[in-house]
Formats: sequence, C-alpha cells, structure tokens
Amino acid sequence: MPLSPLRVAVVCSSNQNRSMEAHNILSKRGFIVRSFGTGTHVKLPGPAPDKPNVYDFKTTYDQMYNDLLRKDKELYTQNGILHMLDRNKRIKPRPERFQSCKDVFDLVVTCEERVYDQVLEDLNSREQETCQPVHVINVDIQDNHEEATLGAFLICELCQCIQHTDDMENDIDELLQEFEEKSGRTFLHTVCFY
Amino acid sequence: MASRSENIVCMSVASQFFTQDDGVDNMTTTERVVDLLNQAALISTESKLTILKQVQELIINKDPSLLDNFLDEMIAFQADKSIEVRKFVIGFIEEACKRDNELLLKLIANLNMLLRDENVNVVKKAILTMTQLYKVALQWMVRSRVINDKQDSCWEMVSDMVNDINQLLDSDNDGIRTHAIKFIESLIITLSPRMPDSDVPKRQENDISLDRVPKDHPYIKYDILCEYGKAALEQLLKFMVHPAISSINLTAALGSLATIARQRPMFMSEVIQAYETLHANLPPTLAKSQVSSVRKNLKLHLLSVLKHPSSVEFHNQITTLLLDLGTQQQEIARNMPNLKESRKRPRDETEQGLKKIKMDTPLVEDDEDKDLEVMPAMSAKSSAQSAQTDTDITAEFLQPLLTPENVANLVLISMVYLPETMPASFQATYTPVESAGTDVQIKHLARLMATQMTSAGIGPGVEQMKQQKVEQKEEKISKPENLPIIRRMYSLTQGQAISVVGSGATVNLQEKIQTKRWPEPIIPAAPMRMVGTGIRKKIFRLNDVIKALTDVQIDNLKLNAVRRILQSERAVACSGAAQVRVKILSRMVLEFDEILKSEVLSFILEDMRNRIDLAFAWLYQEYNAYLSHFPDGSPDDYDECLIGLLAGLQERPDQKDGVFSRLVLEAPLITDTALEVIRKYCEDESRSYLGMSTLRDLIFKRPARQFQYLHVMLDLCSHEKDKVRQQALTFIKRMYEREQLRDYIEKFALNYLQLLVHPNPPSVLFGADKDTEVAAPWTEETEKQCLYLYLALLPQNHKLIHELASVYTEAIADIKRTVLRAIDQPIRGMGMNSPELLLLVENCPKGAETLVTRCLHILTDKAPPSPELVKQVRDLYQKRLPDVRFLIPVLNGLEKKEIIQALPKLIKLNPIVVKEVFNRLLGTQHGEGNSSVSPLNPGELLIALHNIDSTKCDMKSIIKATNLCFGERNVYTSEVLAVVMQQLMEQNPLPILLMRTVIQSLTMYPRLGGFVMNILSRLIMKQVWKYPKVWEGFIKCCQRTKPQSFQVLLQLPPPQLSAVFEKCPELREPLLAHVRSFTPHQQAHIPSSIMVILEASSKQELQTDLPQMEEEDKEQIVASRPASQEMIAVRLAQEKALKRQLEEEQKLKQPRKTTVPPTPSLEEIMDFREEGPEVETPTIFISMEEESNLAEPSQDKTISAKISVQPALPTMSLDRKSPEVEQGNTQEKASSVPDSPNKESNTTKEAVNGATTTADGNVNEAKGKSPETTAEDILPAEQSEELMDQDTVEKQES
Repeated sequence: MPLSPLRVAVVCSSNQNRSMEAHNILSKRGFIVRSFGTGTHVKLPGPAPDKPNVYDFKTTYDQMYNDLLRKDKELYTQNGILHMLDRNKRIKPRPERFQSCKDVFDLVVTCEERVYDQVLEDLNSREQETCQPVHVINVDIQDNHEEATLGAFLICELCQCIQHTDDMENDIDELLQEFEEKSGRTFLHTVCFY
Repeated sequence: MASRSENIVCMSVASQFFTQDDGVDNMTTTERVVDLLNQAALISTESKLTILKQVQELIINKDPSLLDNFLDEMIAFQADKSIEVRKFVIGFIEEACKRDNELLLKLIANLNMLLRDENVNVVKKAILTMTQLYKVALQWMVRSRVINDKQDSCWEMVSDMVNDINQLLDSDNDGIRTHAIKFIESLIITLSPRMPDSDVPKRQENDISLDRVPKDHPYIKYDILCEYGKAALEQLLKFMVHPAISSINLTAALGSLATIARQRPMFMSEVIQAYETLHANLPPTLAKSQVSSVRKNLKLHLLSVLKHPSSVEFHNQITTLLLDLGTQQQEIARNMPNLKESRKRPRDETEQGLKKIKMDTPLVEDDEDKDLEVMPAMSAKSSAQSAQTDTDITAEFLQPLLTPENVANLVLISMVYLPETMPASFQATYTPVESAGTDVQIKHLARLMATQMTSAGIGPGVEQMKQQKVEQKEEKISKPENLPIIRRMYSLTQGQAISVVGSGATVNLQEKIQTKRWPEPIIPAAPMRMVGTGIRKKIFRLNDVIKALTDVQIDNLKLNAVRRILQSERAVACSGAAQVRVKILSRMVLEFDEILKSEVLSFILEDMRNRIDLAFAWLYQEYNAYLSHFPDGSPDDYDECLIGLLAGLQERPDQKDGVFSRLVLEAPLITDTALEVIRKYCEDESRSYLGMSTLRDLIFKRPARQFQYLHVMLDLCSHEKDKVRQQALTFIKRMYEREQLRDYIEKFALNYLQLLVHPNPPSVLFGADKDTEVAAPWTEETEKQCLYLYLALLPQNHKLIHELASVYTEAIADIKRTVLRAIDQPIRGMGMNSPELLLLVENCPKGAETLVTRCLHILTDKAPPSPELVKQVRDLYQKRLPDVRFLIPVLNGLEKKEIIQALPKLIKLNPIVVKEVFNRLLGTQHGEGNSSVSPLNPGELLIALHNIDSTKCDMKSIIKATNLCFGERNVYTSEVLAVVMQQLMEQNPLPILLMRTVIQSLTMYPRLGGFVMNILSRLIMKQVWKYPKVWEGFIKCCQRTKPQSFQVLLQLPPPQLSAVFEKCPELREPLLAHVRSFTPHQQAHIPSSIMVILEASSKQELQTDLPQMEEEDKEQIVASRPASQEMIAVRLAQEKALKRQLEEEQKLKQPRKTTVPPTPSLEEIMDFREEGPEVETPTIFISMEEESNLAEPSQDKTISAKISVQPALPTMSLDRKSPEVEQGNTQEKASSVPDSPNKESNTTKEAVNGATTTADGNVNEAKGKSPETTAEDILPAEQSEELMDQDTVEKQES
C-alpha cells in the first residue's frame, strides 16, 4: 500500500449529482477527494427538458438552492434537486470546473464518456511539467439519483481496491479487468501526465 | 548543539514547531537548519518530511550558500527506510542540481543509486528527476567549454543512466515502463533540434535541445547526440508495436509520440506511420474496453497532431485514420490547423485544396501537382522522407498484384489462420467497406498490407529503405532518386482518403480482403520477434512470459493432468492400449503424492468392477516397491493403497459382485490395518456374510497367517451385534470341524470362558479403546460375550461341558445366573444321552449343583428322562448329594416308592418349585403333550400326601400341596376324589387331613354330597371323635352340609352330639326342629338320650349323661357297622314314614286354616320358602365353596396352620352373609306348616336367585383377589433361578 493516500478527483459534467455523490461517499471513506464538472456551465433540470436552470461555476450551491426554492419549491423538492443541493452545500461551497483546477491527482474518475473526453483533452492540452502520471478512468453513470448512488459505491470500491494495491500503476490494468468482469461494466482508462 | 537538540527531542512535536517559530528571529539560518536536521534524524516519517521540506526551502531558496554545507546531511537521508523520505531526497537532488549545476558532479552518483532502489516508487521518482536533470546536465556540459575529468565521468554516468532508463522499457513493472516512456520522450525532444514549426511549451522555452548544442563543442558531439535521439525514437517505436504491450504503456507511448510529433515535426512521418501500424495491428492482448480506450487515445492524439501545422503533408493519412476511428468530419475540420494564420506560405492554396479533397471527389492530377510542389519544401526534412517511404514503396509494389484472383487466393490461404474467436480489437474497429473493388479501394488495401509487411520487416519498401539508410550514412545527403517514389506515394495516400468516400460494387471481395488482413500479425509474429531481438529482450526473458506458479497452481495443474489421464480411459480402450495404459498409470501412481493418489483411488472406486485391473496393477506395484526395499522399507504405501481400496469399497453401497473378496484374496499381503478394515466390513450387519466368507477363505487359503485371521473371526463371535455374532458363530462352527483349526478355536473359546473366573471383566472384552474400564463390574453383556463361542461349540464337542462346570463353580452369582440362562439351547442340543453330560451329572463337582440341576431341567423339559439319566441322578442323590431338587427333573423316571419317599422333602421347597413338581407328577406340564407317565397316579399322589408323616413335614406344606392337587380340577375329578376319600377313610389311623379333603371335595363337587354323608356315617362308626382334628373337621362338615347332615348327626352317640352342640350351638335348634318334624312314630326311634340332648338347655345334664351315652353309642355303632348301608336305607324309610304321618296330621288341621281366605296363597309362598332353602342349599354351597376354594391360598398364607379352623371359616362368613337363609329358618319356626316339596312358584325361584346373586357377588370379590396368586406363576427358568438363589443363600449362610 502506498504510503501517501490516493489523491482522487471525481468528475461529472455539472459537479452536482454524480461527482458529488461520489465525493460524499469517498470523503466519508477517508479519501483525499475533490469533485469537478467539465461543462461550461452548471446545468440543473428545470420545469421542462428544454428549460434547464443554468448557472455559472461561481454560483454557490446555497445560491442555487435558494433560487430554486424561490422558483418552484414543490417541483424541486419532488424531483430531489433541492435535497441534492442541500447535500452538496454541506460538502463544499460551490461547484468547481475541472479545467480550472491545476492541482495534481493520482486518479481521476469520470462519470460519462463525454466528460472523460473533455478531461483527456484538457490534460493533454496542458503543458507538461513534472511528467507525473495521472490515471483517468471513466465509469459510465446515468445522471439520476439512484444511478449516482450506485455509481458512487462502485467508484468507492474501485478506489479502495486501487488504494490497497502495492503498486498502483503496475496493478491497475489487471484490477480494472477484474472489476469489469465483476461489475459487468466497461471502463475507459488512460494515463496522462502533468 | 548536541545538548540543545536533546532538549528539543524531549519535547513534543507540536512544541518543537513552536520553538522553531519562536526561534526564527533569534537563530541564524544555519542554526535553524542544523536544528531541523537534528530533529529530522529522530522523528517519525510524516513530521520528518515536513522538517526536511523546511530545510530544503531554507538552503535552496532562502540561503543557497548553505546548500553546500548541508548537502551531505540532506543526502544522508537517501538511506532512510521511509519511501517518502527517499523520494524527497530525490526531489531535493533535482532542486539542488538545478540551483547549482556543479552539484551534479557529486549528486549524480546518489541519484544513480536511488535509480536502483528496491522500491518502484523511488525508482519512478528517480526517472522523473532524471528527465529533468538530463537537460540540466546537458546544458551544463554545453555551457562549460572546458571539461575536466570530473565532469567527464559525471557525464559518462549520466549517459549510463540514460541507457539504464532506456533499458527500463523492458522492466517488469508497468509503472516503471510508463515512466521510462516519458523519459524517452523527453530524451528524444532534447536530442533533436527545435524547428521553427515546433510547438514549444512555454515552460520549456529555455530548455536545451539539440539545436542549442554547438556543433563544435569539444566534448559533446552534436551528431552523436542526434543519432542517439533517433535511436531512442526507434526504440520507442519498436516498443509500441510490441504485441504484448500493456494498454497503459500504449496510451503513454501514443501520447509521447504525439508530443514528439508536435514538438519535433521532423518525426511526424514516423509517428503517423506508427499510428497507422498500431491502428491496423492493435495488440491482441488488449481487452475490449482497453481497445476502446486506446482508440479514443489514438483519436485524441491524432487530432492534436492534426492541429499542428506540420501535419499538413499527412492530413490524408490522419483523416483516414480518424474516420476509421469514428471521428466526425466536422470534428476533423475543427481541428485542422488554421494555416493562414500559422504559416504564411505559398502552399496555402494547396493546403486548402487538400481540404477540399477530403470533402469532395479528389482529382488525381491536382494531387500530383501539389505533391510536386510540396516536395521541394519538404526536401529539407530528409529524415521525414526516408521514414515515410518504406510502407509506400511496398504499397506501390503491391497494388498491381492485387488482382481479384490473387486476392481470392490470399483470402482462401488466410482463412486457415483465422483465430477461433474474433479479436476484441477487430470487433471494435470493423466497419463494412463501402467502396470495395474500386481502384481506390485496391490502393487502400495495398497500403494496409504494406503497413503490415513493413511492420513485419518485409517487402521491397523495407529493403530499399535499408539500402537507403546505408547510403545515407555514407553520404548523409538524400538522393533525388527517391523523389519519384515519394511523389507516387503521395498520390496513393490521397487515393486512400478518397476511397472511403467513394462507393464500389465488389463488396464481398473487399470484405474478404478486409477480413484476411487481421490474422496476419499472428503469423509473422515470429519473424518480427527475430527482428526485434536486439532491443526487445523482454519477450525472451523467461520471467516476463512465465510467472513462477504458486504451489497451489502447481498442484492444480498436476491434479488436472492426472485427471485427464484418468479420463482418457475410454479413448485409450478404444485404441486397444488399455493394458499398456494400466501398466503405465500404475507405475506413475507410485510416484504420486497423497492428493493425486486419492484422485486415482476415487477414480478406481467410481467403477471398481471395470477398473479392478488398475487397482491390482497399482497394488502390486506398491507391493513391488515395498519388496525391493525389503527388510528396511515399510509397507506403508502399499498399506495405504490397499486400505484405500478396501475402505472405499466398504463405503460403496451393495457390492454383491464380490469385488471385495477378490481384492482381499488376491492382494499379495494383508496388512494389519487391512485386516482391521476387513473386520469392520464383517461388523457391518448388511455385509457380514460377504465379509466373513472372505475371511474364511483367507483362513483356508493363507495358512501362513491363518491363525491371525482366525483370531479376528473368533473375536467376532463375541461381537455385540447379534447378527454379526450369529454369522461368525455359524462360520466358526463349520471351521471347528477342521482338524487343524480345532485346537485353536477350542483354546480360544476356553480362554474366553476362563475369563468368567475373574472378579471383574478383563479389558479384552471391551476392545482396546476401553482399557481403562477394567474395574467395571460384569454385565450380562460381557458375561455372554465370554460364553457365545463356547456354547456354540458345546453341542459339537460335549467334552467341553466339564470346563463349564469348573468355571461355574468359581464364578460369582451373577455370572452363574447368566450361564444358567444361556446354556438352554446347547444343552438341549447335546441331549440327555450324551455320555459327557451323564458324566457331569455323575461327577457333579461341588458348587455346580445348580448347573447340573439346570441341565437336568433343560433336558427333561420336553422329554421324559432316559433311564440312564435317572440312574445317574438317583446315584448322585443317594450317594453324594442328597438334595431332593436333583430328583425333580427325573421324577417321572423314578419309582413310586422313591417318589413317596421324597415327597415330604419336595413339598417343603419353594411353592413354585412344588408346583413344578406337581406339574411333573400330574402330567399337567405347560399343557404340552407330555408323554411321560408319572409313576404315581393323581389319586395315589393325594393319598401319599395325606400319609406324609407330620414329623417329616409340617402341616402347612402338606396342606399347600393338597391345595395344589385340588387346583387341578381336570385331574382331580369327582371320581378320583371319591376313590381317594374312600381309601383314606379306610386307613387306620385316619389321616389328619381327611376331613379337610372331604370338605374340599364336597365344595368342588357338591354332587358328592350323598357320598360324603356316607363317609360321615362311616366315620362315626370309626369313632371319629377319637381323632381330635378329624373330629373337628367332622363337625365343620356337618355344619356345612346341614340339613343333609342332620341324619348323620342323629347317628352320633349322645355325648358326641352334645360335644357337637357345644362346638356349634346353632345346630341344635334346627336339628331339634328337624326331629320334631318327624312323625311321632319316627320320633319314637330317636333315643331319648338324644332327645334329651336336643332339648336340654342345661349343660350339666349333658355332662353327666355323656359317659353312659358313649357306651350305648359304641354298642350301636359296632352293631350297625357291618351293614351301614342298610341302616341308612332303613333310616330313609323311617323318614318317609314320618313325613307321611306329618302330612296326614296337617290334613286334619287344615279346615281351621282355610277360614282365612288370603292365607293359603301366603302359606304356599311361605311353604316354598321353607322348602326352598332346604332344597337349594347345596346349590348355594357350590358357589360359596368355589369362592372359598379360590380364596383359600391367600388365606393360607396369613393364617397359621390350624386346619380345624380354616375350612370352617368361609362357611361361617357365608352363613352370615346369606340373611335369606336365616330368614327362612326363622319363618320355619314361625309356621311349621310343611307343603308339597314338588311345587315350585316364581317367588321361590326369586328368593333362590337372590341367594345366588349374593353368592355371585362374593365370587367376584374372590376373583378380584385371584390375580395375586396368578401373578406368581413364573417360568421354569426362573424357578430354577429361585432354586439356585436359595441354594446360594444357604451357601452364604453356611
């Protein structure tokens, strides 16, 4: 087991549901974890599919919460958005954008292929400095509360397994294969360098 | 200083930091550093890192002048056991060297050491650092114009390390390889010139690259470095096409290549070609998800390369690849470099033209023009050209060859090599080709094939390139000859790009060609490896390919291999090599370990019948192995094999086919444990027969160890399971007939028998495991265990009986009892004519009397005793052991005299025994047809009882004995009793019990009444009053039989009559009434002396009269004795006359009585009532007496033997209980009017019935008591036990 704890980033598009759910669980399990979104904006479901609530990444969860509370308390209570925001604001003040974060991670877990692509694009477009590797793994999670919870546990299990390997870089390939077999999902996985 | 640090150490970590902060103002930097270092040496890893970081900050950034001073102290931490600390040291080295390049001289050695660290993370960190420091070192070298020795050796070491890191591409560790890739990437970039069109990351702007290396540097040679860089690229490319590359390495390498392509566009063609190759030959080892990851990466990097302005020449290839990877046209377009902005060049037009080509249908003519224009511009980049061509040349070469016929042949040939399952990469990448068959498509195909061939190192292109390289090395200037080829190549690539867009007809062919393409990398894999030998050691290092198997895996593999061999049974049998297989297999098994052997064993057991050959082959092999090591070796393996087979068979359900026996009988050696298994088999109830017959065969057929097997069999004879024991006994009995086994069996049986002598059962009986319970007392179970075998043999060898007798005498009572119970069957089997048995009876050892008695009983139980037996018993009884009990079994064989002689002793025995005696004598034994005829007939017996001398036997016993006789109603019929009474009466003196017997006979058979009266009369003649007991009985009898007895009473002489009245005053009144009822004429016959007694109320008179009367009576009796019968007849006649007189008198009186009309009927009733009792009393007596008879035995027990009282008792109580009779009597007094005795009315019947019912009630009461007596009926065996008990008690007492 590596001496230093794994530095994990969980990334979804709006840093609201999937990444925050995973963030929540991972931090409870003692990981050094951060969560991000890759989208240009933070989007939350609105009264109709074509009318999402759009915020920028500077808006705090609290503000969003109050905004939605004001707009339609019943709707957002009923679809769990308020509850989610409430949970999020207890974890951190506002959503963060992956592309704006220059911190170094050991492992980046994305929740959707599109997000994975964006993360790779971002990491590859950065200038290389230390050549320190970062592993990017995509775990496809549908953007709803139930799947987010299930996905979060899967991510958590994955992270725990990786954390417990003697030599993460050497074992991660095999580990993922096993995980794929076990969970019946496929994971995209690549390595980038800082 | 030291004391100071000590002080600090004593404090907590937190306080240390506090002191540090506190001391910032006071301390100099040096002091602080010293302080921190001292702390760091002594504290835990985490805080150590914090402190070291502080030191680093202080000596590198705050006061670099201190760096040199503390360098050694810092570097000392490289030996720290913490990984993190070692990694930190590496980081420090990097920082330090960057700060002061001179330090490289010193530190590079440390870094080199850390590069060889055992921990992969430290090594990785070292590689990362080396990536940076290589550039630093190079720059430093380049800067210094004069190179000293130190620098020289330092650089040499750097170069060595670079080589080492390059070698790390073959490391076992994925992570290390990844780091090595990144290092090589950086190395390539450093060792190649930065071009105007190179992407230069801002941070690396100042980094050294080949273009900054002066070509005239005295030490650093530009060309060498350049070549080195190219070699590194070559190495990286080789690495990338390795078929077993991991997905992470591949990803890293793809990224590195993209970086290289962007930063060093001169390598772009190699990179693109590598991408192409990779795309066509994705490593087969990749999983599906990894394939998609890699493709995604490839796409990403292609797009990033596409963005680069220098990619223009390769746009066609890149676009084709991107489209193959599923990229949208728009996305490709979006990533096209904005050429106008980035490069102000005359090529702009053509570039745009190219762009169009991708969208629209291309014009080959145009392309060629463009190419011609492009080439001069490109010519400067010689390396790019040369690298690009080999694939193209081959493609060019192939294109005309791809006729439909050839292609079809290729497809057919390659079909053979198709993998069984579709590779994941193929599945992920396959898209149907639309433009098949067109020229464009053929060109595309030619190019794809060329890629494959080039990567495999074959084809004209490769050949040419080799040549070219050689030429290039010589001349270092590219030849213009290449140009046309290059140009042609371009036209091809363009065509390829078009082909995707265009459409064709021969889809099928195309598809086949497409399919065919995939397996190729699998076939040429070998030559490819050959080519790569120099660099790619990895493939051939055994460690890479073969992982040491764990013990478990090895075992599994072995096991599976053995299983396959075993399962091939049928296949081998079909080929006719079954025998050979068995031979080989059995030899092999010998070498196996436990697990494998058990596997083989279970295989054999699965189908024992058909695999018995194998079983025997194995068994004999094991035996052979044992023999070959003979005296030293132990037969353990053999034993195990045999046991395994036998035990396995034992567990199987029904084995009727005798495989077990066969195995046992054919096994070369039966070990002790195997014998134990056989024994267990025998102990299994359901298989005991099979087991024992096997054992028997062993006994007969293996004389060497015969007795060992026999011993087992004998042991089984005392087995606790009945069935097993019986089976074993049957076998032993049969074996007993064999001469050679006889002695052993006999000895064994006798040994066991002898065990009974011990006060406690010896441990032998409990089996080995229960050794400790030696002190346990004998139980019936253990006792029997000792007996079974012996008793089984007894009927076959009668001589053995004497042993039993001698053991018996010594054994304790419990064992004796068991013996007595157990010998029943065997003794019966011996029969009473057995000379040995007779001998036993004759000798009857002291203490074995009960045994002998028991034997006698058993023998005579069902059959009459034989004369020999009787003779022996008689001798025994008369000469040695005068115990009458011996006689009982042979009673019927004795003479009458002897029986009568023994009778007093016999009846004194236990009541049950007495009963048995009587049963024997009366022939009422168990109701079974007893052929023996008792020498005494029942009458004689009863008479004999009466004649027993009371001095020899107490009355009580005699009475009990007579009661037993009376109990047998079937035997003692009224006739028999009458004869008995008659004979008894004639005896002189009269037997004491005479009257008792008379009364009992009368109660049993009331119809004997008349006969009894006769007896009574005759007794008077015999002056019965002279026998006080009989006299007493006489009175009782009269009392009981009144009014019949009145006649008899009247015959008594007056003194005796008064004595009767004295005894029974209540008789007087009825008798008087009776006499008064006589006619006067009749009354006249009654002597006055008697009338006086009848009427007298004063006893004095009676007493005075008595002597006289006695005299008179005597005379009368003596006179009348000869004709007693006639006298009775005379009296009866007198009575009749009297009656008639009375009737006449009554007729005279009648007119008076008729005046009262209702009375006649009443009188009638009264009359009948009067008469009723008279007539019916005997009837009542029957029932009453029956009751008393039944109840008597129980009364006997409580009442002391006073016969005179006893018989009277029931009658007395009866009289009290029948008030109707009394009533009748009283009424008789009240009205003395007799009526016709022949008339009966309903009322009388009722009255009589009433009387009988009350009597019945008593009967029931009596029946209620009867169970007490019946419960005492006990089996003969128990009788003898009782017998024996008495015996032992007597013994103990004595």
